[in-house]
Amino acid sequence: METAVFRLEGVTKRYGDLVALDNATMEAGSNEYISFLGPSGSGKTTLLRVIAGFEAPETGRVIFEGRDITNLPAHERGIGFVFQNFALFPHLSVIANVGFGLRYGKSPQPEAEIDRRAHEMIDLVGLKGLEDRGVDQISGGQRQRVALARTLAMQPRLVLLDEPLGALDANLRGRMRTELRAIRERLGVTFLHVTGSENEALAMGDRVVVLDRGRIIQTGRATEIYDSPNSPDVAHFLNRFNLFDGTFRAGYFEGPFGRIPAPGARRADRDVYAIRYDRMRAVAPGSAVQGPALKATWIASEYLGSAIVNFFETDGGRVVEMEQHLSLGAPQTFEPRQDCLLTWNPEQAIVFGREAA
Amino acid sequence: MEQRFLKSVLGVYVAAFVIFLYGPFIVLTILSFQQGPDGGPQFPIIEWSTYWYQQLFGLTPPSRIAPLPFGDALIRSLILSMMTMVVSTVLGVMSAQAFRRKFKGSSVVFYLIVLGMMVPGVLTGLGTSLLANNVIGIERHWYTTAFATHVSYTFPFAFLVMLAILNRFDASVEEAAWSLGVDPWTTFRKITFPLIFPGVLSAMLFAFTLSLDEFPRTLFASGRDQTLPLAIYGTFSVEIHPNIFAFGVLTTLFSFALLSVYGILMGLSVRRARRQAMQEDIA
Amino acid sequence: MSTTALSIEARQARVTRWLLLPGIIWMALFLVVPIAMIVYVSFWTQTTFNISPKPTLASWQQFFSSSTYVDSLWTTIRIWLIVLAATFAVGYPTALFVGLFVKSKTLSTVLLVICVIPFWTSFLIRVLAWRPMLGKEGAINIVLMKLHIIQQPIEVLLFTELSVIIGMTQIYCVFMVGPIAFMLARIDRNIIEAARDLGAGFGRIFWKIIFPLSLPGVVVGAIFVSVMVLGEFATSGALSGRKVNLLGNIIVTQVGSLKWAMASVVGVILTVVMGIVIAGFLRIVDLKREL
Repeated sequence: METAVFRLEGVTKRYGDLVALDNATMEAGSNEYISFLGPSGSGKTTLLRVIAGFEAPETGRVIFEGRDITNLPAHERGIGFVFQNFALFPHLSVIANVGFGLRYGKSPQPEAEIDRRAHEMIDLVGLKGLEDRGVDQISGGQRQRVALARTLAMQPRLVLLDEPLGALDANLRGRMRTELRAIRERLGVTFLHVTGSENEALAMGDRVVVLDRGRIIQTGRATEIYDSPNSPDVAHFLNRFNLFDGTFRAGYFEGPFGRIPAPGARRADRDVYAIRYDRMRAVAPGSAVQGPALKATWIASEYLGSAIVNFFETDGGRVVEMEQHLSLGAPQTFEPRQDCLLTWNPEQAIVFGREAA
Repeated sequence: MEQRFLKSVLGVYVAAFVIFLYGPFIVLTILSFQQGPDGGPQFPIIEWSTYWYQQLFGLTPPSRIAPLPFGDALIRSLILSMMTMVVSTVLGVMSAQAFRRKFKGSSVVFYLIVLGMMVPGVLTGLGTSLLANNVIGIERHWYTTAFATHVSYTFPFAFLVMLAILNRFDASVEEAAWSLGVDPWTTFRKITFPLIFPGVLSAMLFAFTLSLDEFPRTLFASGRDQTLPLAIYGTFSVEIHPNIFAFGVLTTLFSFALLSVYGILMGLSVRRARRQAMQEDIA
Repeated sequence: MSTTALSIEARQARVTRWLLLPGIIWMALFLVVPIAMIVYVSFWTQTTFNISPKPTLASWQQFFSSSTYVDSLWTTIRIWLIVLAATFAVGYPTALFVGLFVKSKTLSTVLLVICVIPFWTSFLIRVLAWRPMLGKEGAINIVLMKLHIIQQPIEVLLFTELSVIIGMTQIYCVFMVGPIAFMLARIDRNIIEAARDLGAGFGRIFWKIIFPLSLPGVVVGAIFVSVMVLGEFATSGALSGRKVNLLGNIIVTQVGSLKWAMASVVGVILTVVMGIVIAGFLRIVDLKREL
């Protein structure tokens, strides 16, 4: 990240008693793909709306290309926005939608230029031949492309995407993901992408920003966040970790699996033991295991194509997941209600503790 | 079973209701074909004729019954209704647009506007004529004082129609336009207005018809020159002849024509907007 | 750079203010001020040919000491209550059919349009049309005699309080039908289905579900009808042969003889009645929330 194209400084936004954004500070470089991850109500959409200028923050500043744009109206910002519901202009054709900003925007272009750029954008998103269709005469995926083309035609340096793939079916979503990345790389624009799906966030973002209750709780590269979430909440949102409550004291974590050494514990507001689904191993009960051992019974499994997820229930009644990648060989199979012993390499666990350094 | 029985009973009831609603008008239509000029505005029909229709257009030889003095009044009424329609629709769209944002005192403003349709016309009319005639001391005219009361009456209707339309309006298309660098006013002209146009048309229709038929306010607030309802009211006090019935039938037919035009405009508005967009692209 | 610039919120608030201003000014000037004038002028001194702003209670005393005036107040309230009840009784079943029983949206729209069409005839001509309907040689008497239901024509039909009530009911009942049908059409049919699956009969479903949900419509309709009936003078003038004198009729005749102060007193009384009635209805339903 050589030059910061965009910066948020201590932005706070309230709706009545509800704090939608709490002192949010972040930065985005040029030509960067940042995805925002967080549960619904975490303030992701509000964050985008504040950046776009649809909402005004109570405090804090929004800086874009070196300018303070906190008080600049949306239409003077030059920031693109792609809506979840696409928000196409229903009374206009595809080409008129794409050319709308060029025609009526800040610097109106000559008709020939509008036509040329609109066609160029339509080609870019692969909608050639649909130019004169009404926007209610095309499919969901095509509408998504129109929305994108309409935004990109303005050549913004920053594009905000609010769950742009949320309204599409799974198949289309996968294809659009790849295309979105490819289009962005070709144009060299910065994308801020809000998503409710942790897979999408991790797969698409160069960097991932995790939000919870209006606060930015972690920012980092996808692999960083994935390998070392900095709080139990982040680990929870990633939906990749089994989380156990317990007590961390003097370098040891005591949980339902016994008392095991936890040397590299991180400081957090509560004691939580996190171990990734794909680090779990299941062995026969009574096997001699070193380290953690958790008695559990097998309930069900789910086939994901490249991996298989097994669900176990512990004595305490909580569900523990174990993911096995099929590339690592044939997966284990289990009988219903089969008793197992779950274990893992404690060095691969992430431990959070109030007493940690 | 029970439901089915109830539905047919109610169906019969509604038929009776429609007869009740239309009975007077049917009788009026029949009597408008009364023989003239001696036939009166009651049964029995002496002889079927179109005498009274001819009389309206001055096609009959002069008789003891004077033609209705409606010509000028009709023109005044049409002008007044047009003026009222334009002003109250503009005010209605503006206020309803303002109500899309929460603001302090919105309840007070809401009731202030809606008050216009809740205050009986006789009071608005009386108050306005007191204000003009006694307190300020200016002359009353149909195009000044009466016009003011007409708008204060029809504006709430236009406002409520637009409020209902804008409540359902998806604001994200406007935000999308802003994010494309289009300023709010252009966004309103090119996006919001075309999309709410059917609602605007309804508001206009509402305001126009209410104003055209407005009577109590006009009675007090217009000066010498009569509007159409006042002219009709004038015939109440003298003897009634079937020519007023013939006039009623004709105005109703005229209204029908207007309603049809409105319906066709409604149907076309969406299609036209789309076609226009296409033409802009071809151009 | 941004210190002098208005925030987005302030800018929006400014736009809102400018959008509202013309409407507020218009309503204040041409609605609120005129009504205030009625109150003001009701305390003016009236002489036979003149009126002067010297404050006096004379017109008020005159109103309450005259049985003609006080009677007109009671007549207004009586006619209003009867017409309100009649429009409700006549309109509710129709609304029930249009809003709830008719499943096809097209048919219910067509029925509503049929209800609205009479409004395209001038209000005064609609009033006038009742004369050949109700008269001694009117349509109703002719039909009843042809059917041998009556031997002698009924004379009380026209130029009585009854004719005023019939006329007003016909003219205003559609204002009941519309809002009620609108509310009924909004009822989620699944609720009714669910209640029926639980074995509830129509009567029970009606009183427990349908009627309460249609109540806002009834109130809106009642406000419409009340506003119009309380301010009436044309129907009563044209169909009662001057026998029924409503507050509105008094105002018209007083203004006609340039008795502005007395007209204002009656106007104030009408305003008070109006205010009580509307406030009462609005206590039942919050109009703004229902829209």
